Amino acid sequence: MDVIGVVASIVYQFCTNTAFLLLCALGLIVILGMMNIINLAHGELMMMGAYAASATYSRGAPFWLAAIIAFIAVGIFGTLLEVTIVRRFYGRELGALVVTWGVSLVLSQGFLLLFGPFMPPIQIPEGNIALGQYSFSYYWIAMFVVAALLVAALWWIYNRTDIGLQARATMQNPSMARALGVDTRRIYMMTFTLGAALAGLSGALLAPTTSIMPFMGQQFVASAFITVVVGGATNVIAGAVGSSLLLSLVKTPIGFFLGAFLGTVALLLAALIIIRLIPDGLSAAIQRRLDLRHRMR
Amino acid sequence: MTEAAILSIDRVRKHFGGVVATDNVSLDVAAGDLQCIIGPNGAGKSTLFALVCGMHELDGGRIVFKGKDITWMLPSHRVREGLGLTFQTNRVFGNLSVQQNLEIPLAAIRGERGVEAENRYRVALKRFDLDLKDQTQAANIPHHKRQWLEIAMALAGGPDLLLLDEPTAGMAPEETGNTAAVLRDLNRTGLTILVVEHDMAFVRGVARRVTVMHQGRVFADGTIDEVTARRDVHDIYLGRR
Amino acid sequence: MINPFSLLSGPEDLGRGLIFGLGAAIVIALFLAVPLYLSDFAAYNVSYYLLNIPMALGLCLLWGYCGVLSFGQVAYFGIAGYAYGIIAGNLSGHSWGPILGSLGGLAIAAIVAAVFGYFVFFARVQMWILPILTLVLTLLLETFLGQTAGYQWRVGSVQLGGYNGMTGIPAFQIDDFVFSGYSFFYLAFGLALFCYFACRMLVNSRHGKVMLAIREDAVRTEMLGYDIRMRQLLVFVLAALLAALSGLLYVQWGNYITPSQVGLLSAALPVIWVAVGGREKLLAVVIGTYALNWLNYQLSSSGNQYALVIIGALLVVVMLFFPRGLVVTLAGMVGRASARSEASTDRGHRSSPA
Repeated sequence: MDVIGVVASIVYQFCTNTAFLLLCALGLIVILGMMNIINLAHGELMMMGAYAASATYSRGAPFWLAAIIAFIAVGIFGTLLEVTIVRRFYGRELGALVVTWGVSLVLSQGFLLLFGPFMPPIQIPEGNIALGQYSFSYYWIAMFVVAALLVAALWWIYNRTDIGLQARATMQNPSMARALGVDTRRIYMMTFTLGAALAGLSGALLAPTTSIMPFMGQQFVASAFITVVVGGATNVIAGAVGSSLLLSLVKTPIGFFLGAFLGTVALLLAALIIIRLIPDGLSAAIQRRLDLRHRMR
Repeated sequence: MTEAAILSIDRVRKHFGGVVATDNVSLDVAAGDLQCIIGPNGAGKSTLFALVCGMHELDGGRIVFKGKDITWMLPSHRVREGLGLTFQTNRVFGNLSVQQNLEIPLAAIRGERGVEAENRYRVALKRFDLDLKDQTQAANIPHHKRQWLEIAMALAGGPDLLLLDEPTAGMAPEETGNTAAVLRDLNRTGLTILVVEHDMAFVRGVARRVTVMHQGRVFADGTIDEVTARRDVHDIYLGRR
Repeated sequence: MINPFSLLSGPEDLGRGLIFGLGAAIVIALFLAVPLYLSDFAAYNVSYYLLNIPMALGLCLLWGYCGVLSFGQVAYFGIAGYAYGIIAGNLSGHSWGPILGSLGGLAIAAIVAAVFGYFVFFARVQMWILPILTLVLTLLLETFLGQTAGYQWRVGSVQLGGYNGMTGIPAFQIDDFVFSGYSFFYLAFGLALFCYFACRMLVNSRHGKVMLAIREDAVRTEMLGYDIRMRQLLVFVLAALLAALSGLLYVQWGNYITPSQVGLLSAALPVIWVAVGGREKLLAVVIGTYALNWLNYQLSSSGNQYALVIIGALLVVVMLFFPRGLVVTLAGMVGRASARSEASTDRGHRSSPA
């Protein structure tokens, strides 16, 4: 039944694209939602995650372990970055953009000089499901599941834990949160660490799809930035999920018929149109809807 | 719409998320009048100003200024039509000098509006003790001077209707008195002024008409004596309603 | 009426007065006298530092004076360069090919900037969105140009060339005269000087003051009657034109252009020049651009692989410790020192008996 195959293939593509966008953007959105700054070193953090994973994988570690190590290692680096540089730029959004870009330059060039132009690649874990002439790789199905689990984990942290409550308070009104005893400096530090760690994890997870080199972050940042711009800073989870789904809806058919590059171009065009219509991002629109429903009750 | 109303706010509604800021507000400002809007905090006074200026979009109703429906007009166009505004929290260009601040408003519009507009601006500069060549950074001048600077900047555009949001906030009694005097004199030249204020002495000193707002609605309307005589107006201020 | 002299000596840029004027005249004279002490080749290298100045001035106007950060100046640099290559390349027999190519390069860059800017400024997006979108545009442009290697990727008779780029770009010829060596140096210097003076007059004019106001408080400026979206759009297009001019000069300088001119590393450079020099003052940016390009050349020509790491680190250090920029901070110190010495001279005069 070829129709089933085609439909399944489209759904699979859609899920793959959504997973890709989510993984690229999650770390960035976590930081943006809290501190209102875009970390332009995000691509390099992903690269570092891929490097960490490659280093441990080529020494025999299983892929899932390599990914976890990448999560931790890049998270620690993120903490260092926050404490030394980033925290001086809270409230100065454009300054933060520029300084994180300087950091990204130093990191990418530095890694080139330290480790050379290539790292040992990570093979895509084998195996796929075949349906007629279409095959669906376990790897991408796993990526989709992982992305969904990450979103669920973040939702749980933000909405069901104490620290998540403090984080949400800080996001809404930092001075008020401080007045109520929340250590906002610690929250910022933890948030940046989490954002960096997620970037590292994503870099490690996506490493099998590409060659591992100092500038590999570049292929992810365009998608990450577009997803974040469309999502907006109002509500981390809603923004990430809503934006990834919507953009994937655009990218899947165009990518399917016209190729990956035009798919990304379509994303940029879609982003331009969406922000013209909803300037503060999807998450703000979703938040307004939620608030309205709350009011009706 | 009343005859000779320069501004007519007609059943205007605005909500932010779950909060209704402006609930079916209708208000007319007669040309040449000096009207005050008073009411407890959170009554929706500043939101109303923001709506009249176009900083937020309405959720319902219309705004008519000098006979024109400006409900969908861009803020900058409304200013060119003759609206002048000061903000609740003083909003001059703090990092720029007093001279630069005064150079920025569109002298061109004031020129179009004729001699009266020019005179009002000059009077304000003189009575507010503002020097066109003052190089002091605006953030470094005394607070009341900054408030006066903002009023002068609003007058620099030669408006027909001046909207002032708590112009005397943080001012000492003497400065408040000076502000009231200047506004009275400007009003006598034909400038319509709508003021949001908390300082009752000030309101008494200037207003011909007072509107009381509460919880996003117009609660009472009349002269200062009529309004302050009302028991229910006292109650809303005391939180009894 | 507009008085160019008063516009040039206004307060919105560094330096004014007799001493400054004399100093500027000396510097200009030094540049004009270059054939006396620099070889043809050395002048050619200096031309590279100079041709980047218009692009940096554009970013300075946009970011320093108008408060709009764009990572996309190089996109317009590249668009103009490639457009010139395509148009002039296809008209290579004709004498008006280069002129058409130049105008075409400027026009296409302006149109792209206008369309892009319309979507962003008229949407009144939050401040951080524009830098990101300009960065994305640049990335996409580089990716696109990079994959144009095949023979089918050509416009008319001109190959786009993929990552190797477009070569053999025709020079701007007037009859038999081609700009090269010293003549190109004078062209680059003249245009850089012209752009600088024009920008300096702009920022001191009323339009310049409104730009400052928009930077300081856009909403407030709007409530003074200005259409801020249109003004931001116009400055954005002007910046794109300046970047395009640099791009046109570049393809005259090298007769080639590659996607890496539009890449992430290249996109970082104007931001670094402007940030390190001092984004709020045009002259600081001119000095910063010249100095950093000179530094880059010294580092990379001596085989130093750390050139980009050093420059990236310089950006971080400047943002942390000299946020107003090195040249602006220095100028501030000089200004305060001279004010103090004037005050002490006054005191000296007053204390001496009459």
